Amino acid sequence: MTEEDKVAAGDRRNFLKGMMLGSAALTGAASGLFSKLDFAAGELGISQVRADTPQRIKMAFVQYQPHSVSSAWGKGIGEVLATQQIVDYQQLDGQSKLEVQVSLMDTLISQGVQVIFVQPVDSVGIAPSIQKAKRAGINVITLNIDSTEPHAAHVEMNHYFGAMDIAKTMGDAMGGKGKVAIINAPPGIIIRDQRTNGFKDGLKKYHPDIQVVADQSADWDRKKAQDVFNTVYAANPDLAGVYGVNDDMALGAVDIAKEKGLLGKLVIFGNDGETAALESIEAGELTGTQYTDGLQQGRLAAATATVLASGGVTPDAFAQQGHLLMPYIIATKANVATILPYQRW
Amino acid sequence: MTIRPATLALVAFFALSMAVFSVFAPRFASPSNIEDLMGGFSFIAILAMGEAFPILTRGIDLSVGAIVALVGMVIFDMSLIFHVPGYVIVPTALAVGALAGAVNGMLIVFVRLQPFIATLATLATYRGIVYAISGRQLVEGLTTTPIRDKWITGIETYFDLGRMLGIGRMVHLPAVPLSFLLMLGVFVILQGVLLFSKFGRSVLTLGGNAEAARLAGLNTGAITVICYAISGVCAGLAGLMLVAKLTTSTEGLGFGMELSAIAAAVIGGVSLSGGVGSMFGPALGAFLLGAILLGLTLLQVSQYTQQIVTGCILLAAVGYDRLLLLRRLRRRLANTG
Repeated sequence: MTEEDKVAAGDRRNFLKGMMLGSAALTGAASGLFSKLDFAAGELGISQVRADTPQRIKMAFVQYQPHSVSSAWGKGIGEVLATQQIVDYQQLDGQSKLEVQVSLMDTLISQGVQVIFVQPVDSVGIAPSIQKAKRAGINVITLNIDSTEPHAAHVEMNHYFGAMDIAKTMGDAMGGKGKVAIINAPPGIIIRDQRTNGFKDGLKKYHPDIQVVADQSADWDRKKAQDVFNTVYAANPDLAGVYGVNDDMALGAVDIAKEKGLLGKLVIFGNDGETAALESIEAGELTGTQYTDGLQQGRLAAATATVLASGGVTPDAFAQQGHLLMPYIIATKANVATILPYQRW
Repeated sequence: MTIRPATLALVAFFALSMAVFSVFAPRFASPSNIEDLMGGFSFIAILAMGEAFPILTRGIDLSVGAIVALVGMVIFDMSLIFHVPGYVIVPTALAVGALAGAVNGMLIVFVRLQPFIATLATLATYRGIVYAISGRQLVEGLTTTPIRDKWITGIETYFDLGRMLGIGRMVHLPAVPLSFLLMLGVFVILQGVLLFSKFGRSVLTLGGNAEAARLAGLNTGAITVICYAISGVCAGLAGLMLVAKLTTSTEGLGFGMELSAIAAAVIGGVSLSGGVGSMFGPALGAFLLGAILLGLTLLQVSQYTQQIVTGCILLAAVGYDRLLLLRRLRRRLANTG
C-alpha cells in the first residue's frame, strides 16, 4: 500500500464515519429523540392548534377482515375524523389473522400514531400489542371484541342482551314452541359465544318450550350457510326457526328456504342489521335481525378518539377502561321502515 | 462453498429495498421499525429454513401452518389446563412438531403419496386435531386467560444492545429480540448440517437425482423422513415463538403461513426442482418479504397492492429458478451430446 493509497483509505474511512454519524442523527430525529421540544405550544404553553401549520394527528383502524360491519365502522370513523381537519386516518386489514394484526399494530406504533382502533382477532392475543401501544403513549379503542388488557375504551354492539331479545321476538313469532337451528360462527371467538349464549339464555327465559336441535358452524359465510342449512333441514324436516349468528348466514338460510318454498313456514333471524338483511325483511323473506347503526358506532369511537387525542389524555391517565354498549332495535317487517336510508350500511 | 449468482442477486435486492424504503418510507430506518422487522419475521425465517429441506428433496410441505397451530394448541393445553411447567412444555412442543413432520415424511416414503397430496391431507388433519383438542372450547374461561409461564413468555425478550455496550446514550440502537437470536442459531445449525454433514450432502444428492442417490446406496427413505421432521421441528419452534409473542394460541393460528414459508424459501433461491439451495437464502427471503410489507405499510400503500407486489416478486424468483434449471439442462445436453 503506498502512502497515497493510505491517505485515500483514511479519507474513505472518515467519509464512512461521517455517513454513519449522519444517518444515526437522522434516525435519532426520526425516532423522536427530540420529541420533548414542543414547537407547537407557545411561550405560555397555550396550544396553537389552529395556527397556519397545525400539528397533524395520525389515527388508524385495524379491522378483523373485510366485511360490511367493518366498512360501516370505517366510514363512520372517517366521517368524524375528516371534519376535524387535523387527523390523518388510514384503515388496515388484519386478514382474520392474529399475527398480521400484531405486525400492523407494531408498524403503527413505530409510525407514531396517536390512536389505534382495532377489532381484535383474539382478546388475549392482542393484549401484548395493546401493552406496547400504551407504553408508547398510544390510546387504543377496541370495537366489538374486547381485550383482556385494559385500554382507553371499548365500543361494542350489544351482543348478549341483543341476542336475548332476538330469542324473545323469534319465539313470539314461532308461537312459543318448535325446533330451532343455530347457524354459528367457528368456535373460539368471543362474539360467537356472546351471541349464542344470549340467544340460548333468552329462549330459556322467555320460551322454555323451544328446543335448539342443531348448532353448526358456517364460518360467517353465506354460501357455507346454504350448505349447512340444507343438511340441518334434511335431518330436521319439522324445523320451525333458524338463527344465523350474523346476517350473511341468516341470508344463506333464506336462499335455501326460498328454493324449497319454505319462506312462510320458517322463522329466520339474523344479527348485525346490514342493508341486505333489512331489504330482505322488507321483501318478506328474512323475519328479522338485530339492527345496530354501524356507522354511528364508528362515529362514537372516532368522537372518543378525537377527544382523547386533542385533550392530550394519555393511556396512563385512566382509572379503568371505558365501555360503551350500542343501542339497537330488533328489526322486523313491522318496524324496518323506521330505519332511514342514511342509517343503513 | 461457492456463492451462487442467485444469492448475490437476492442480497442486492434486499439491500436495494432497504435503502429505498429508508429514504422514502417515513420511520422505516427507525430503531423501533428495525426491531419490528427482526421480531416480527424471525419465525417466518425459521419456517422458511425448515421448509427448504422438503423442497431440497424435490418435495413440498404444505402442513407447516397447521403444525404451527397444532404445537400452539398443545402448548396452550399443557400450560393452561394441565399446568405443566414451561421447561417440560418447550421440549414437548418441539417433539410434537418433529413427530408431525415425520408423519408427513412417512406418508410420502411408505404410503408413496405425492408430497403435495400427503401434506395437503395432513394440513387438514392437523388443523382438525387443533379444533378437537382446543382448550379454548373444552374449558370455559381459557379464551380470556393469558399464558404467563416465564419459560414460554421469556422467548419474547428484547436485548437492549446499546445499553449493554454502554453506548445507549450516544446512538439509539434497535433492541435485539431473542427470537432473532434463535433464528440465527437455527441458521447456523441447519447451514452447518447442510454443508458439512454426510446427511446434508445426501439431501442435496437425493434432490438432484433420486434414482442416482438410491443406486449410490443412500437410504433415501430415512433421509426424506428426516427432512420433513426438520420442517416440523422448525414449525414447532415458530409456533412456540408465536405463542410467546401472543401469550395465547388460537385455532386459526398459522393459517396460510405455509405460503409465506414457501415463498420465502423460493425467493431465497431454493430450487423447486430440488437439490439446489442454502439456508441463507430462505432466511433473507423472509426478511425481504417482511421489509417490503413494513415499508409499503409505512408508505400507506394499500395491502391489496402489497399482495400484488409480493406475488410479482415470487413470480420473478420462480421464473429465475426456471431459467437457471433450463440453462443447467442445456449445458448437460451440450456436454453429453
